[in-house]
Amino acid sequence: SPVMEELLHLHDHALMVVFLISTLVLYIMLAMISTKLTNKFILDSQEIEIIWTVLPAVILILIALPSLRILYLMDEINDPHLTIKAVGHQWYWSYEYTDYEDLGFDTYMIPTQDLAPGQFRLLEADHRMVVPVESPLRVLVTAEDVLHSWAVPALGVKMDAVPGRLNQTAFITFRPGIFYGQCSEICGAN
Amino acid sequence: MSLQKPMMRGLLAKRLRFHLPIAFGLSFLAAIAFKYTVTEPRKQAYADFYKQYDAVKEFNAMREAGVFESVRPSGE
Repeated sequence: SPVMEELLHLHDHALMVVFLISTLVLYIMLAMISTKLTNKFILDSQEIEIIWTVLPAVILILIALPSLRILYLMDEINDPHLTIKAVGHQWYWSYEYTDYEDLGFDTYMIPTQDLAPGQFRLLEADHRMVVPVESPLRVLVTAEDVLHSWAVPALGVKMDAVPGRLNQTAFITFRPGIFYGQCSEICGAN
Repeated sequence: MSLQKPMMRGLLAKRLRFHLPIAFGLSFLAAIAFKYTVTEPRKQAYADFYKQYDAVKEFNAMREAGVFESVRPSGE
């Protein structure tokens, strides 16, 4: 989804900063261990303290700005075409499509021994949640018993399912296909 | 003939003046290299992919392959 693609680019940006800092630290470490010259009598140095306060602050701002941009982008709710309720249970999900007609169904994970060749272990479900493509969608996530979490990594969506609470998330996808997710909150014995 | 007095002070400072700009330069270079070998090509790859992307064509191809449960291939 577009949000997930933005997150990927943010990750590249953050990794670039990580490489910058790691290269600097590695070079300084190598330079420090390859010399016998040390200053045993250093007491203070305002200049270097200013540098190593300002420089990390600048780097943090460089990371924070794209990050905040995506955070607010993810929070936008743009008039969804469809609302789906996802209710977490131990250990299945139930979906309700109540916008036009009342439709509800449960969906269980296909056990490993029942998988057909080519299907993915621990990912396949018997009844998939079907959504229209190129349409903003709203998912209301809650749980019946314990904490669950509705997550689809390819769409950049994760929302905790808390009993007694309705959490809202939204997404849109421009590519048809099958997107997998797993409950992302510990909700059982294993 | 007397020997020249060796330099006895400022050795660490001289080393730092030599190595620190190299350290900052190398780290900046590493960041630029990552940006132009990974970040920008990835952005371009995504942009190029979506320029020619036809969602309906992809959907029909997946449908005919029998991947979806909600729609069966057109022959069935």
